[in-house]
Amino acid sequence: MTPRRSNARMIQEWVTAYSFLLPNILGLMIFVFIPILYAFYVSLHDWNALSPKVYVGFQNYVTLISDEQWWHSVTRTLLFSVVYVPLLFCLALLSALLVNGLRGKSVGVVRTMFLLPFAVTSVISAIIVMFLLDPRNGLANQLLSLVGIGKQQFLGSPTQAIFCVILTLLWINIGYNMTIFLSAIKEIPIDYFEAAHIDGATRFQSFRYITFPLLRETNTFILIVTTIASFQIFDHIIVMTKGGPMNSTEVSVLYIFKEAFQMLNMGYSSALAFVLFLIVFAFSMIQLKFFSSKD
Amino acid sequence: MKRNWKTLGVAAISSVLVLQLGCGSSPTEAPKAGEATPKGTEATKETSSAKKDKVKLAFWDMHTEAESKFFKDLVDAYNKSQDQVQIEYSTYDQASYTTTKLPTGFASGAGPDLYMISPGDFMKFAKSGLMKDLTPDFPAGVKEDFLPASLEAVTYNGKIMALPFELETLGLYYNKEMLDKAGVQVPKTWDELHAAAKKLTTDKVAGLIIPPDKGPYFNFIWYPFLWQQGGNVLSADGTKSTFNTPETAKALDFWGSFFKDGLSPKKLQLGPWEIDNLGNKTAAMQIVGTWAINRIEEKYKDVPIGLAPLPIPAGGKAATDAGGWKMAVNGQSKNAAEAAKFVMWAFGSSDLSHALKWGTEVKFAYSPRKSVVEKGKDIYNKGLRKVFTEEIYNSAIPEPRYPSEVVEAVGDAMQYVMYGKMSGADAAKTVDAKITEILSKQK
Repeated sequence: MTPRRSNARMIQEWVTAYSFLLPNILGLMIFVFIPILYAFYVSLHDWNALSPKVYVGFQNYVTLISDEQWWHSVTRTLLFSVVYVPLLFCLALLSALLVNGLRGKSVGVVRTMFLLPFAVTSVISAIIVMFLLDPRNGLANQLLSLVGIGKQQFLGSPTQAIFCVILTLLWINIGYNMTIFLSAIKEIPIDYFEAAHIDGATRFQSFRYITFPLLRETNTFILIVTTIASFQIFDHIIVMTKGGPMNSTEVSVLYIFKEAFQMLNMGYSSALAFVLFLIVFAFSMIQLKFFSSKD
Repeated sequence: MKRNWKTLGVAAISSVLVLQLGCGSSPTEAPKAGEATPKGTEATKETSSAKKDKVKLAFWDMHTEAESKFFKDLVDAYNKSQDQVQIEYSTYDQASYTTTKLPTGFASGAGPDLYMISPGDFMKFAKSGLMKDLTPDFPAGVKEDFLPASLEAVTYNGKIMALPFELETLGLYYNKEMLDKAGVQVPKTWDELHAAAKKLTTDKVAGLIIPPDKGPYFNFIWYPFLWQQGGNVLSADGTKSTFNTPETAKALDFWGSFFKDGLSPKKLQLGPWEIDNLGNKTAAMQIVGTWAINRIEEKYKDVPIGLAPLPIPAGGKAATDAGGWKMAVNGQSKNAAEAAKFVMWAFGSSDLSHALKWGTEVKFAYSPRKSVVEKGKDIYNKGLRKVFTEEIYNSAIPEPRYPSEVVEAVGDAMQYVMYGKMSGADAAKTVDAKITEILSKQK
């Protein structure tokens, strides 16, 4: 191949590649990067969305440092993530292993059953759970009474409400994450397991030394994506508890929403949103570094 | 090369699709102020007879069903009655109307010329210049027809910034049969209300339904208990907190006792404003407003529901909230004068038919105009309405228009006591400091 032909081919490949990337680049620019920059710009202003913006420099950032309610909401979000992410990860992986072990026609049915809650709209799933957890007439309390446990307040209790939300999200999301794990498990060559079996490895040893290490990339993906999602939890909370009772489920995004749309403190809420973005970004980077360190 | 063009074509179509997904307008997207072009499904279609040189006005609302139809018909009637102005009516989901729809509409310069506003949001919009001073638009003699307190509630810097067209007061609804069975008299005092709720509470029936979740409605139901003892959240001029008082502590403790003693549910399946809680017999008593009456007559004719004024504390005096939406004109609209004419035509003219229809047929609410109440006195004395008219109406105090931060802080105090975190006195003291701080930042 002459150098001229080679150059022409490279240009052609370059054009083809960027033509396919263009929609995503445009989408990211318009719906992600520009809004982030605009949010930062707004965060430097005192603005109630109705009157003109007044430039205040970094005043909003200074205010948020001493905003106890904000930091409480961040702590709540972190606690939520610390409980929710490992639980989701473990349960989705466990479900994938169990479903992977199934044989015959039941596999499709079981997989569909796991995935079905994911197809339910978040608002509807939240309302279904609210009915189940109703303190007076809900099914959950009726079942508990069968085993001698007294009536619980669930979403009406400052200590139980956040766990009810976690339970709902687990119900919704386990199936989806299980499907990702399952497809990754299916990618592992069967020969590895057969060889291990011949060498006398137990099922746990096969999982410990073959399955889990080979799922590293999937693990990283699921942990990062679910951690980011856990920081963004909003729809279920606004429907199920509205941040209550006694602010016990007021996570960061809900606090930002309240500041923005109930108090109309757009400048301040943009500063909060920008700080939350930095926190999530830092967490994602740490996770990426930690889980990809052996590569 | 042919293949390359094909590739580029696919990529270009994908780009367009992605952009369309992001930029596609929502079905309820609003028309611009002054040059309304409604796209929403609820929007009134422009009639073919509309002339091109007419001034176009956008009117945003949050009512639904029969209430929305009333305003749509009102707009249609106005459009037909003259050939200068064409109003386009759009209605939106109430949950997002004041939180996202109005602020983003105004922020993007696409807000309406006319809009509905609640007392809780009044100050934010009035302070931002988004309300036209309607004082000069009142026809002669009409202003005097309004209850002074109702106009005071929409006055800012000495100017009437919105037109009140309804007053929704609160009362204690109860299931007569349940009270009779339990041998309970209709409660008249706080102690009687608590004792009655205790007797009426069972595994399946709540003694008293009051709102458990924070928000403007939560406070709206609690304020009367504070007012009944002469207490208040802020001073008359709204510049100082008056929250740290024995009256506040007592009202908070009273409110909290229903939740702490298990007489009021901490979580509700239905909204606390829905009389269905009482209608479907899952509650024995409920504090709700005038709006419940039409629902009772339509859906719960067979349920023996009674109504009484809100119980008062020993030595207290009757008080109830008078809430209700108001109509406002965008002060920044270039057609504000035309918009104000419509508002006055609808509820501020000598023709009382619209106000009467709204308060007696479409829903049950009092008009802030004395002549309307007088004209509809037969209806205002029909069934349960009579209790409101004769025993409750005179004790009505307009719903306060506190800043959202103050509403939030008062809600915190109520929940601190409800969930046993603090006593009423401690909550009053803690939140008083918070309100003082909020007010200091607002100056």
